[in-house]
Amino acid sequence: MKAAVRYIAASAALLIALAPVYWLLTISLKREVDQFAYPPQWIGFAATLQHYRDAFGSGSFGSYFANSVILAAMSTAAALAIGVPAAYGLSRFEWARSWDLKIGDWILSTRMLPPIVTIVPLFLMLREARLLNSLIGLAIVYTGFNLPFVVWMMRGFFDEIPREIEEAAMLDGESRVGSLLRIILPLVKPGLAATAVFCLVVAWNEFLFALILTQTDSSMTLPVGIASRVTQYEIKWGAMSAAGVVAMLPVLVFASAAQKYLVRGLSLGAVKG
Amino acid sequence: MMEIDRLTKRFGSREAVSAVSLAAADGEFVVLLGPSGCGKSTLLRMIAGLENPDEGSIKLAGRDVTQVEARDRDIAMVFQSYALYPHMTIAQNIGYPLRVRKQSALEIEKEVTKVAARLGLSGLLANRPRQLSGGERQRVALARAIIRRPKAFLMDEPLSNLDARLRVEMRAELKHLQHELRTITVYVTHDQAEAMTLAHRIAVMCDGKIQQYDTPANVYHRPANTFVAQFVGSPSMNLIQKSDAILGIRPEDVELSLDEKPDWSPARIYVTEEMGNETIVILADGSSQLTARTTAGFRADFDTPVWFRFRPEKLHRFDPSSGARLAC
Repeated sequence: MKAAVRYIAASAALLIALAPVYWLLTISLKREVDQFAYPPQWIGFAATLQHYRDAFGSGSFGSYFANSVILAAMSTAAALAIGVPAAYGLSRFEWARSWDLKIGDWILSTRMLPPIVTIVPLFLMLREARLLNSLIGLAIVYTGFNLPFVVWMMRGFFDEIPREIEEAAMLDGESRVGSLLRIILPLVKPGLAATAVFCLVVAWNEFLFALILTQTDSSMTLPVGIASRVTQYEIKWGAMSAAGVVAMLPVLVFASAAQKYLVRGLSLGAVKG
Repeated sequence: MMEIDRLTKRFGSREAVSAVSLAAADGEFVVLLGPSGCGKSTLLRMIAGLENPDEGSIKLAGRDVTQVEARDRDIAMVFQSYALYPHMTIAQNIGYPLRVRKQSALEIEKEVTKVAARLGLSGLLANRPRQLSGGERQRVALARAIIRRPKAFLMDEPLSNLDARLRVEMRAELKHLQHELRTITVYVTHDQAEAMTLAHRIAVMCDGKIQQYDTPANVYHRPANTFVAQFVGSPSMNLIQKSDAILGIRPEDVELSLDEKPDWSPARIYVTEEMGNETIVILADGSSQLTARTTAGFRADFDTPVWFRFRPEKLHRFDPSSGARLAC
């Protein structure tokens, strides 16, 4: 009985959560005349792939997609390359007592700022550096945005590894860097995976910075590209929906691949915080 | 030969190790014995190169290694937690020191097979550490330490995570292994039985200082001060405050009699503890208590009158202010 109630409640929640996704998927497959039919056609409409052809064949969505992939990959790689050594240092080396307690909080505090307040200075800085409308500029911004999260989360994972293991490695003849690369990093792989997925998803979904810092068609990312199909004269529901469905796919793949790591990594961060 | 000269380590304002000097001859088994927080582990970590001393020097085989990094000291260490590499197989764990030294895979395999056979690990080489019992993990940690024949072994309470029976077994095995390898071994423990059985020489530590550095027999029979006298031996030595000295007498050197004897002192039985092979008797003598060790057959009820005396040749005398041993 109890189980039945639980399943019914879960199904209801799932239905509510998935309804917009279903709506998106059906719109992307419907002919334009069917999109606004009343009452709505939930099932049994004539399906077409025309909108996918429009969006990715003749339209620019292909290049938006590529931009998003490059951007997410670059910013995630950079955030990990900088953040992982920083987290290791915070976890392993002694700090002056007055710093030791605060430095982690300072790093985390940069995440508490509403992102919008940084947009004007960032815009001006990127303009001066001639990095507006460039993927490199946006990647730098995303890296900075993800870095505190990487440091905070990886520090928790490093703290979990007993120091004695790398001390043993150093006595066995490893340098500190060697023991980090060959002993410690393999042990924090779940943490690395969870952190990387989180960074990828944040960069992939990001809209606000991309909207303001890139304004040319060639530098647009997928979320901005989709939104740009709402114009003064018409709203291209079909193409937008098709692009939306495609935009969801990588996130689904990442998240399901790293699901078990993600839950552990996020809850660990929560406890440590 | 290992020489430690006035080694000092401070944590903030506290001196964890104060000007400790210690020498170990080639092949010697040295045990650092002391209560927790006495600085013995810090001293060991400085020898390993995991902590930097604030003052003093460490020489190993004639070379000053005080400023040398841990990996270049040619020292192997066995940790209390074993510190095996969880993501590697047992064979990879044991062979790791050789892999770091870029030896050929063939050579590593040969050495690993040899060492594993010596320590009874041959059947476990493909397993991972988490599949092994505590005793087996301990052997893997030992195998990893001995495979590259270092100049010295350091062991930080390596047996303390094992159950009592296994600990005694491993203790004997460790002693024999050290005898075979004849490598300087510095072994940290708070267990005096381990110290007595394993060591050629014991360094008894307290408050960051070495209280006595001598053979187990001398540490037991000629303790340098009241700390050593009480720390080594179980039950510990009776100390009796007199006006001109502190008298010390080991429980086994207290003679008991249930019949009155001339010149013996009277007391009452406070409690008797039968251990099987011997009986520990605690006497109440007015306000103070005295521990005696006697034969297994000794039987007496609570509060029975009893007479005792100290074997005069076994009496220790210590300075009442410094606690240092006085010549008898």
